[in-house]
Amino acid sequence: MKISDKEMTHLAELSGLTLTKTEMTNLQQDLERILEYVSQLNEVDTEGVEPTYQTFDLENVTRADVPIDYGVTKEQLLALAPEVKDGMIAVGGVL
Amino acid sequence: MKNNKYEMTIGIECHVQLATATKLFSGAKNDSREAVPNENASPIDWGLPGMLPVLNERAVELAARLGLALDAKINLASRFDRKHYFYPDLPSGFQRTQLYEPIIGEGLVELPSGGKVRVEHAHLEEDAGKLTHVGEKTLVDLNRAGTPLVEIVSMPDMHSAREAREYCQELQKLAIYSGASDADLYHGNMRFDVNISVAEPGAKKLGTRVEVKNINSFKAVERAVEYEFKRQVGLIEKGEKFGQETRGWDENKQKTVSQRSKEEAMDYRYMPEPDVPPVRLAEGFVDGVRAEMPVLHTVLRHEFLKIGLGEAVVETLLDNHGLALRMHEVVGETDAKTAKRVADWFSSVWLAAEVTSTEIPSVAQLLELAEMVAAGELSSTAAKEVLLKMSVGSPRAVAEKLQLLQVSDEGALEEMVERVLALPAAAKAVADVKAGEMKALGFLVGLVMKESKGQANPGKVQGIIKSKV
Repeated sequence: MKISDKEMTHLAELSGLTLTKTEMTNLQQDLERILEYVSQLNEVDTEGVEPTYQTFDLENVTRADVPIDYGVTKEQLLALAPEVKDGMIAVGGVL
Repeated sequence: MKNNKYEMTIGIECHVQLATATKLFSGAKNDSREAVPNENASPIDWGLPGMLPVLNERAVELAARLGLALDAKINLASRFDRKHYFYPDLPSGFQRTQLYEPIIGEGLVELPSGGKVRVEHAHLEEDAGKLTHVGEKTLVDLNRAGTPLVEIVSMPDMHSAREAREYCQELQKLAIYSGASDADLYHGNMRFDVNISVAEPGAKKLGTRVEVKNINSFKAVERAVEYEFKRQVGLIEKGEKFGQETRGWDENKQKTVSQRSKEEAMDYRYMPEPDVPPVRLAEGFVDGVRAEMPVLHTVLRHEFLKIGLGEAVVETLLDNHGLALRMHEVVGETDAKTAKRVADWFSSVWLAAEVTSTEIPSVAQLLELAEMVAAGELSSTAAKEVLLKMSVGSPRAVAEKLQLLQVSDEGALEEMVERVLALPAAAKAVADVKAGEMKALGFLVGLVMKESKGQANPGKVQGIIKSKV
């Protein structure tokens, strides 16, 4: 199963990854092999089969509309961000 | 915006924020109007690894309510999918939405002008965070991340800017009256994506579709449609080909601007959301939601028109939820004539005085006030004054305090008339009336009214003067 260079660039873009040429080539080969392997599933006739949303047959897992204290502060969470400015997570400009 | 050579076709996607206390999948607070950035963002909203989203049952109820308001079928089975894209407003890298099995099926919105717009479907999804661009940096506030939204997708059933605006306004009223959303446009509770295409009338194929995204006011919806129609007709006339694209509305320049073309549209790589089990509603669930449904503006519109209120007054009342509900109670308690008087007070006095922040008078107060006017105890002018001050007491108490009660007591009036007729200032007019000069009668009535500081019943005064002179 072949993946074109163009498809690789597109996938990298969608995934927000910047890859070197070597990484690109390696990944391309890996992905091709993975797809090759998974494509065996195409032999199964899935006509009329529902997609799997649940493997434990769970349904209606809901909660009441009441605020929950998760025991973690805004400061603790913001400390996870590489950069913080004015109480907000600062990232490279996207405009 | 008449152009007989071309016809436009409009479809609208509308995002409505649900009025829940917490978010769609986390227990963080939903209302962040008073919050500092990132105050209402839980580890789930941050998309941290290992966090388990749990569906808010109230969001499901409110979505069903909105669905019923849209006269739509509520799908008993619905489920969530992941829609992937990388952008800083979405820390998990995907948005939970309902691509394949939405909770709300086909519906219908009837416009007051008579048009009908079919709803293709509506689905539940979570909102993304808010980005602010400062210099080289983009700042992320996750307070809005995870806010429950219902996206209402219309069929391409509209053909004018006015219809587009009307449809959006109807959606807002349905959202407010059903209690599903505060639908406050100023706070971004509703946002519109408008799809517009232009073709010759009767053409088999629709023209190229252009989407104007993220419009947040009714006026802007109307203007954007007008602008796009002109722009697309211009391109077609010049013979220029143009592709599908996404545009934005520039409020300052009053024009649409290109954002990205659909050719490079995102590939969202949808997949079933394994963390949120499917929703299966019990048969009785929808009946329960229907039973709790508050009265919708569409019902009130019909009711108000039926008692003979003018269309403009009806729409003014419907634009003010609290007043419309009170009016509904009044209609149920009294005759059409009295109800019309109250409607007039609301639309021309109450709203004009901009006292909407204070409590709306009770039905009992309104009916007592109307009764006093009908009985001649209050002039209609005085009633308007009392109306605005009833928060402090009953109409009678307020009228007494402001000394606005009309004097209708025959004895007191006669005494007053006699006093006035004896005044030197009245002598000439009295002579004129005696000579059959009826214009002078008005002058005398005026004198008595002045003497009574406006409290005398003018009709009665006139009768008494006539009999005396």
